[in-house]
Amino acid sequence: MKKICKQTLAALCLLGPFLLGTGQAEEQKPRTIAELVAKYDSSSCVDCHMNEYEQWHKSLHARSIFGPLEVGRTAATFITTIENGLKEWPYSGVNDPEDVGVKHLMVCAKCHLPQLQDAEDSVAKEIVQNLYAFAEDPYDEEIRDTLLSLNINCLVCHNRNAITHKWTDGYPDPKTVYGSKSGAHEDPLYPTMQESKIMGESILCGQCHGLGPNFELDNPTQCATLYGSHLFAYIPDGGTQTCQECHMRRSGLGHDMQAYRSPEMVKMALDIDVEANAFQWRDVNTMTPVANVLVEITNKAGHAIPDG
Amino acid sequence: MALYVTAKTLDGQVFYTNEKIYMPIPQQLGRGQKMGRGPYEKSGLIHDSALPPRKTTKESFMIPVYTESEEHGKTIRTQIAQDFTVNVEIWYLPYGKKDDPGNAQKWFAVTKNMHLPADQK
Ligand code: HEC
Ligand code: HEC
Ligand code: HEC
Ligand code: HEC
Ligand code: HEC
Repeated sequence: MKKICKQTLAALCLLGPFLLGTGQAEEQKPRTIAELVAKYDSSSCVDCHMNEYEQWHKSLHARSIFGPLEVGRTAATFITTIENGLKEWPYSGVNDPEDVGVKHLMVCAKCHLPQLQDAEDSVAKEIVQNLYAFAEDPYDEEIRDTLLSLNINCLVCHNRNAITHKWTDGYPDPKTVYGSKSGAHEDPLYPTMQESKIMGESILCGQCHGLGPNFELDNPTQCATLYGSHLFAYIPDGGTQTCQECHMRRSGLGHDMQAYRSPEMVKMALDIDVEANAFQWRDVNTMTPVANVLVEITNKAGHAIPDG
Repeated sequence: MALYVTAKTLDGQVFYTNEKIYMPIPQQLGRGQKMGRGPYEKSGLIHDSALPPRKTTKESFMIPVYTESEEHGKTIRTQIAQDFTVNVEIWYLPYGKKDDPGNAQKWFAVTKNMHLPADQK
């Protein structure tokens, strides 16, 4: 099995052949981070889809429980969630970080790492240990790489989350990649290709880009609400473009889905017009020298700016 | 997102600043009038000044180019300058502050040269 080991996948490449060789891992719920990573192992994709891989690797989807590289803001906020949220709430069942299980982390992982739902509590505990270890030593490469190995990768969008309406379209098949067409697929691990009805639709992104409070949780959280703004403000005003049209095609960024940090997106964001004039306003003997400044800002995006 | 308006004399003295903030203010745990901060305690909204899509938001600023003082119970106005500049900037502030390299982004800036007629009756 030929494999290119990229930084974040390096650990996995060592374990990969061992874990993937045994068809059992699929039946059993992952019990370790390495097993969860192996279950959604996207390291083979890079061989044939180099462009998509390289673009994706630059996006925040590639570090979805870590956050922007220099900051690690998302990892830090997961800890705040445990310290100021879970531990403080009397009925959460969490007194210590060791008490955190999958259901507790799902308040964030619903969108930041949806595949955690398919894992044992031991994986949640291992994630929590790594989060605290990261807080103590943000420069430890091994801990960083472990946190970065958990992300929204190819198989999250092209398999796990590729079907929203499962009674209508069926459940995702573990040996299939979902895209815009059906047929044979060259990857021996994923030998078939199926059309996903939603790959080009906003709802694919809407699964994680939020509507408001997440009511299915015992203690609702709220982070991204941008899909709500797309549905209830952009569409009613006559907007017709999908997330993919703006973020992947018009921007030319493809799988490097970006926002305010990228000049391509900034250009597409606002039209700004500034008019200014100065004059003497006279009222009998009183002179009032003033300047009037008029700023007009038009939001050209498919949702409010900024998101909550 | 923030809009800053600054007026300066030609030698750099700032005599006017104003700002507008554009952001949703989430509610804390879906109750009351307090803002929720982390995503774990945000639920609902109490106010929202974010820029809505496909809409033009207009802001107008009237900048006084004078100072006022009292002399013998009379208000005296002094014009600050005949020539000055007005600077307008729009910043994207993901973590709420300008001094935040790599995160805070200056999206737009323009400086206009302004001229007033002399302060004579
Ligand atoms: C050995 C090479 C190879 C590997 C490995 C591979 N692919 Fe592909 N894949 C292809 C080729 C070639 C096509 C184009 C098939 C066509 O257009 O008929 C394709 C098509 C696809 C499509 C459909 C594209 C469309 O137009 O909608 C998706 C999605 C996809 N691959 C995802 C993946 C993912 C995810 C992985 C890793 C798990 C992967 N591929 C691994 C060769 C590969
Ligand atoms: C409904 C899905 C969803 C849930 C649930 C969710 N998030 Fe998010 N979160 C997102 C998305 C999507 C983004 C990025 C896009 C945006 O900001 O609009 C984001 C952004 C963030 C950011 C900002 C990252 C940066 O750019 O610095 C942090 C921090 C964060 N989330 C932490 C959390 C934590 C902690 C939780 C759990 C308490 C959580 N999120 C729950 C979807 C979610
Ligand atoms: C956040 C979701 C998401 C992730 C993660 C993702 N993709 Fe995609 N991918 C899409 C969407 C959406 C499209 C369809 C784009 C369109 O409609 O223009 C797509 C299209 C494709 C295509 C068809 C050709 C193209 O580039 O448009 C291939 C091949 C592909 N993806 C491979 C990959 C591989 C390989 C990875 C991992 C490195 C990956 N994708 C990760 C959402 C994703
Ligand atoms: C499985 C959940 C999921 C799906 C599906 C998903 N995203 Fe995301 N997306 C996230 C999360 C989580 C983040 C933020 C990660 C972080 O910084 O912590 C994010 C970040 C982003 C960002 C960067 C935001 C920023 O602050 O810079 C953009 C743009 C984006 N996503 C667009 C899309 C588009 C377009 C699609 C559909 C093609 C999509 N996403 C599908 C979860 C998802
Ligand atoms: C009409 C074009 C357009 C459409 C449609 C669109 N976006 Fe955006 N989006 C933009 C632009 C431009 C920006 C950059 C402005 C910014 O960062 O706020 C942006 C920013 C974002 C951000 C960062 C938000 C923030 O707080 O700054 C996310 C996340 C995102 N888009 C996701 C999506 C998703 C998901 C969809 C579909 C539901 C979508 N976008 C639809 C143009 C679009």
